[in-house]
Amino acid sequence: MFVLRRLSSALPTLFAVSLLVFFFVDLIPGDPAQILAGPTASNEEIESIRTFLGLNEPLLTRYAQFLRGIFDPSVATSFRTHRPVVVELAERLPNTLIVSIGGLALGVLLGTVAGIVCAMRPGGIADAAITVLTLAGISMPIYWLGLLGIWYFAVHLGWLPAAGASTPLHFVLPILVIATRPAAMFSRLVATSLTESMGRDYLDTARAKGLSETRVVLFHALRNSLIAAVSVAGVQFGGMLGGSVVTETVFGIPGVGRLLVDAVSRADYPVIQYAILMFAVFFVAINLVTDLLTQWLDPRTREQERPA
Amino acid sequence: MRNLRQTCFRAALIAGLSVFAAHAQAQPAGVLRVAVGADPATFDPAFNDLPVGNAVDLAVLEGLFRLDPQNNVLKSLASDHSFSPDGKVFTVKIMAGRTFSNGDPLNAEAVAASFNRLLDEKVGSIYRGLYASLGTVRAVGEDTVEFHLAEPNGHILLLLASTAASIVNVKAVKEMGAEYGRKPVGSGPYKVDRFVGGEGFRLVPNPTYKGEYPATLKSIDFIVVPEDGSRMALLETGAADIVERVPPESMAAINALKDAKVVTPPSMFSINMEMVLKGSLTDARVRKALNLAVDREGIAKGVLGGLGTPSVGMVGPGTQDELRKTFPPIPFDPAGAKKLLAEAGYKPGQLLLSFTCPTGRYIKDVQVCQALAGSFENVGIKATPLVVDRGTWSKVIGMEPAARTDNMGMVGRATAGMDYTLYRLFFTGVGANRTGYSNPRVDALLKEGRATTDPAKQKAIYGEVQEIVWNDQPFLFLWYQTQAIGVSNRVQGFAVQPNETLVFDKVTLK
Repeated sequence: MFVLRRLSSALPTLFAVSLLVFFFVDLIPGDPAQILAGPTASNEEIESIRTFLGLNEPLLTRYAQFLRGIFDPSVATSFRTHRPVVVELAERLPNTLIVSIGGLALGVLLGTVAGIVCAMRPGGIADAAITVLTLAGISMPIYWLGLLGIWYFAVHLGWLPAAGASTPLHFVLPILVIATRPAAMFSRLVATSLTESMGRDYLDTARAKGLSETRVVLFHALRNSLIAAVSVAGVQFGGMLGGSVVTETVFGIPGVGRLLVDAVSRADYPVIQYAILMFAVFFVAINLVTDLLTQWLDPRTREQERPA
Repeated sequence: MRNLRQTCFRAALIAGLSVFAAHAQAQPAGVLRVAVGADPATFDPAFNDLPVGNAVDLAVLEGLFRLDPQNNVLKSLASDHSFSPDGKVFTVKIMAGRTFSNGDPLNAEAVAASFNRLLDEKVGSIYRGLYASLGTVRAVGEDTVEFHLAEPNGHILLLLASTAASIVNVKAVKEMGAEYGRKPVGSGPYKVDRFVGGEGFRLVPNPTYKGEYPATLKSIDFIVVPEDGSRMALLETGAADIVERVPPESMAAINALKDAKVVTPPSMFSINMEMVLKGSLTDARVRKALNLAVDREGIAKGVLGGLGTPSVGMVGPGTQDELRKTFPPIPFDPAGAKKLLAEAGYKPGQLLLSFTCPTGRYIKDVQVCQALAGSFENVGIKATPLVVDRGTWSKVIGMEPAARTDNMGMVGRATAGMDYTLYRLFFTGVGANRTGYSNPRVDALLKEGRATTDPAKQKAIYGEVQEIVWNDQPFLFLWYQTQAIGVSNRVQGFAVQPNETLVFDKVTLK
């Protein structure tokens, strides 16, 4: 029921996004016909291309066509390649998801472990080192860190390929780089949350049963700490999809982010519009999954959803 | 008898070995890895607008004519050509027995179909306007094609030698739809074996090729890497043999490598500030003052890192060099500029100018604009550089002069033809003339030049046009961009056309 209610509330959101995406993209400076025709084209040539692309049609007619394209891929084609946008997106999406999901998973794993270490030995050397690394991880721009990684691991050590996506090895460096931010965030989050939980009564009960401190932390305290972490993970994943533009450009990964950058620079409106719409659908879906996970981890939130 | 037998045996052995050696030499060998910066969304010559797409089209498709690495026109599929006495029908005989890589015959009918597709309004080619002067194209028999020109055109050879005029297999286009743009079916020495959007593509030899430039490589693997630093890392780690567009800051690092060097072939890219000829810029003294105010050598060395050569004419090298005229470089003379501005009635600080520059379109474009602003300030002009995104830039430079609110725009031109370049930029009222330039003598000469087929007459006509334009200075003439390509020492026979098209005709690997 909750899922259905959430899904029905997502539809107006997506409709609003479609309106915003279509009309805002139309406001992007630069005329697609002029960009395709090149700087030496005459007015007549530009006009001819504009007519061919259907850009002379009234705005509402074009919007209706855009909505039609969601259900009929043959009308939603790229200005540059004339291929259906859904095909272009489907080809690129796996690469984006590999980097984003891989980066997030590694970040969560590293962050959680680091957070536990900090919480179990507060004020120790490990805590201090992790705090410094965390600050660095949050502060360093992915772009710079990516180039640094390429220089060190590809050029200097020769361990990993510098750019491309043709083998699994090509994804190692981008995933490592993109994992830094979530790892840093999660280590802080888990450490703070665990430290708060450590003094709670139910943990004393667990300790009284004779469980080791590690088991107490892993099996009793951590579950509560993860509730907040799950919400943050959802937001982080959304951010990673958005950040794929930078990561994919630095590492030469053919993902949706790169496709979007190219489309913006060439004013390929259909690709921009449908790619953003797809990201919006992802955001809605991620929010839904995050809420469901939170409910599963925290029964109190389930209580609130029950009808009075 | 025994001696004769031995002699015959030896002769047969030598003949056999030499045939074997020749055969072995002709076999394609080695994998060439090329890292490019731009993503070629399509290789369909009717829509491709990137140098990397031109390079692929040159290797995969054939035209009636083609350009060599110096931009000279050579015959390709054409065996002979002639104009009718009135200059309105251009007839081309094509080589017999050629086929597309899928086995379809490449005859006169296929050639006519390819051109008629390019000219078809419903196809929406970005080059339809450029080729409109071809009029209608007809197949006459199996090996003759007639172009019934819309107007006499003495530059048709150059038009037909561009990769945009490559012969496509229209039957395959109908079958494949938009996918043809990824795996075009042509008659060139290579064919596209694999294309992964945004990542790369591979060319392999076309076994049905019968022309003069057979494939020398087992495969050419292209990798698309837009980020300069990452692309250079591919050459440094040996993951690429050729990297295009080496940024000035990476040149020293690449040249310091043991296995690779930067080559800097000339480019026809002529970078200028195109003036909007209204207000203060209608005064020739102001235009000349602006040209004198700029230290081209200093900016080329200090800002462009040597990747620029000060202009000695409007059109860049490689733009039909046989018709090109060059002039002494414009001196850097701030005192002369101040004097001219004073003569035009402008005291220091009185003249206000703004100019539009793109971001990331040309080498160091933003920095160049800042340097130019400094040069103008130096002679007492209040200059405002308007550095904008590429979309806004293309919109501004495409506006009618009357609608422009700025005074100049930075634009690079690289068109392989004197007529195409000069007519579109300087003929009065032409839709692509964005400066508003108008000179009756230039108009008359450009008309005459277009209809003239005699190269000697063309040379005189276009020489005069270039001289008038150079003296009128409707542009702030800047420099010709220099190409910078990182090439591994194991690559031999690699060439680059002045329009930045990579040529793999004779490439072999050590």
